[in-house]
Amino acid sequence: MSSTLRVDKKDLDQLVSALVSRYRVFGPVELDGATLLREVKTADGLALEARALDGPAKAAFFPQTETLLYYDNGTAEPPPGKDKPTAIIGLRPCDARSLLMLDKVFSTGKYRDIPWQRRQDDNLVIGLGCGAPLETCFCNWLGSGPFDPQGSDVMLTDIGDAYIAESCTDKGERFLKTAFKSQVQRPSQADLDKAGEVRSRAQQSLGAAVDVSGVKPALASLLDSPLWDEVALECLSCAACAYLCPTCHCFDVQDETIPGTKQGRRVRIWDSCMSALFTKEASGHNPRGAAKDRMRQRVMHKFSYFVESYGETACVGCGRCIRLCPVNLDIRDVLKKVVSRQYTAVRAEAKGQKSKVKGQNAG
Amino acid sequence: MMQRTAESGQQLREAARKLLKDKKVGLVVGYAKGTTPRRAKPAVVKDEKDADRLIFDETCGISLLPHLRKALRAAAAGTKAGIVAKGCDGRALVQYIVEGQLKRDDVVIIGVSCAGVVSPRHAGEKDAQELDEACRRCRYSVAPVYDVLVDGPARTDTGGHGPGTAEEYAAVEEFEKRPAAERWAWFERELAKCIRCYACRNACPMCYCDECFVDQTNPLWLGKSAERPDTTIFHIVRALHTAGRCVDCGACERACPLGVRLSLLNQRIAKEVKERFGYTVGLNLDAKPALATYDEDDRQEFIL
Repeated sequence: MSSTLRVDKKDLDQLVSALVSRYRVFGPVELDGATLLREVKTADGLALEARALDGPAKAAFFPQTETLLYYDNGTAEPPPGKDKPTAIIGLRPCDARSLLMLDKVFSTGKYRDIPWQRRQDDNLVIGLGCGAPLETCFCNWLGSGPFDPQGSDVMLTDIGDAYIAESCTDKGERFLKTAFKSQVQRPSQADLDKAGEVRSRAQQSLGAAVDVSGVKPALASLLDSPLWDEVALECLSCAACAYLCPTCHCFDVQDETIPGTKQGRRVRIWDSCMSALFTKEASGHNPRGAAKDRMRQRVMHKFSYFVESYGETACVGCGRCIRLCPVNLDIRDVLKKVVSRQYTAVRAEAKGQKSKVKGQNAG
Repeated sequence: MMQRTAESGQQLREAARKLLKDKKVGLVVGYAKGTTPRRAKPAVVKDEKDADRLIFDETCGISLLPHLRKALRAAAAGTKAGIVAKGCDGRALVQYIVEGQLKRDDVVIIGVSCAGVVSPRHAGEKDAQELDEACRRCRYSVAPVYDVLVDGPARTDTGGHGPGTAEEYAAVEEFEKRPAAERWAWFERELAKCIRCYACRNACPMCYCDECFVDQTNPLWLGKSAERPDTTIFHIVRALHTAGRCVDCGACERACPLGVRLSLLNQRIAKEVKERFGYTVGLNLDAKPALATYDEDDRQEFIL
């Protein structure tokens, strides 16, 4: 049984206070030019009206820089203290969904990641339905939508002067029942109609979904396709897409020892397969030395390898990589090219030429 | 906002077609229409027909020099490249030649008269249209050196924020007046947004080192964290390494996905270089780089 409440915007602070008393709370905060998830204590400064979140949800559970342990001459200890459980308020459905995918990697799948699990335990996600998707949004291509409840415990719908708060899980239901001290209004029929309108308008604004079911099978034949050369020529090989991606989860582990001592810390840091250093081996050899190898890896990991390992595509269609890419490299275009088959044909042709050259050399 | 005529695009495409047809160049590095309203994408065009996709308008904010380097590296030895260059890009090209990174004959510079580009911040939003800050303080709408010049479109309405309408160093001068603690707090806030993605470095025309100091791992020169000490050192060293070389094109800031205001550091240094050495980067092919030369008349008041 789900509950539905009307939360006047002026009462938002009550909701945040209830969260803060039980959780370490993260929410979207405007930081001069970017909206990022930051820890919040009150509703002040919470940027729920921001058009989009520029940073990924993963940062709340898998921070970019995380000390795993401190060591001193052969002994090691984890960082002191235990956080309260984590809550996020104002997460869009795309980001909320990404947390379920990362859970498979860090928790429910083959591996148990202790810091991730510690933060995910008893967490709470208050989602914010996406009333005005951006031009770069394509969650509907990935079987989701602007009000997809997956990954959220409570979903908020902005109806102007109030939010309609609807529980999506038992945990969300329990929270809503105890969050408000004063009497909270039930939404009127007019409120519910308004919310319905917001939802259908958002869905319509996304436009028709492109069928990406053919991406994985097509990728199998594109291992040495000229497609990657073409895309790599545009790419700057920076890590903006990977770091801002809600599902990219690769990391590096470094020991930072204080010079002249045996003391230091072991720290985990986000890493990106777009960087040449990512695969550089101790010998100096780099199996993915060219930008095109790295570009291919990123697409393959999301749309092929992850599917094989965890049964779904590691992309939620948030479009952040498109919106914030310095050179407008658009993953939607790459996917369209992948399924177009035009590049498999070119490949066969290129291969033919290659073997001809080889033959000549041999001769 | 700026109104572009179709004119310059047409002339640009014709110029590129002709260069490719006459085999003056093997490829042209330019801009193609982007998939979001405020960002064009880089395009490497190799045949005449493909030149149809070249454009030039206010969305063309990327510096194409990183793409030029990449395209030349991928092409057969001896290949000449055409490159579409705004004023700032033209200055960076001059600096490449001054620094020995490019021979004048390796490139055919297609100058475009630039009326400024828009900031791509919030690129998914249709309504936000604002001239980039770097363009407001820009003094060079045309490349100082070019082979072909394509007429720029007439600038009609720039909302009072046209290129060159801001004092060149106004922002940095205003910033300098603030107390030190306030300036430091401002930098700390800005750098707290940095995620070390290196979009700024990779988009910067002058960051062309094959191996950047942050990628030195044996031994590690700089910690890899996104914590303040590491991010601060990265940005300070990058600013120092581009001292007397930065053309203030603003490509780094436009590339930054999180809107870190990087250019104040660079501007402060550019101002210093101009005042001390009377040097403006990228105007003259025979120039000696300010920090790679010595003159007995250089100011020496810092020597105690």
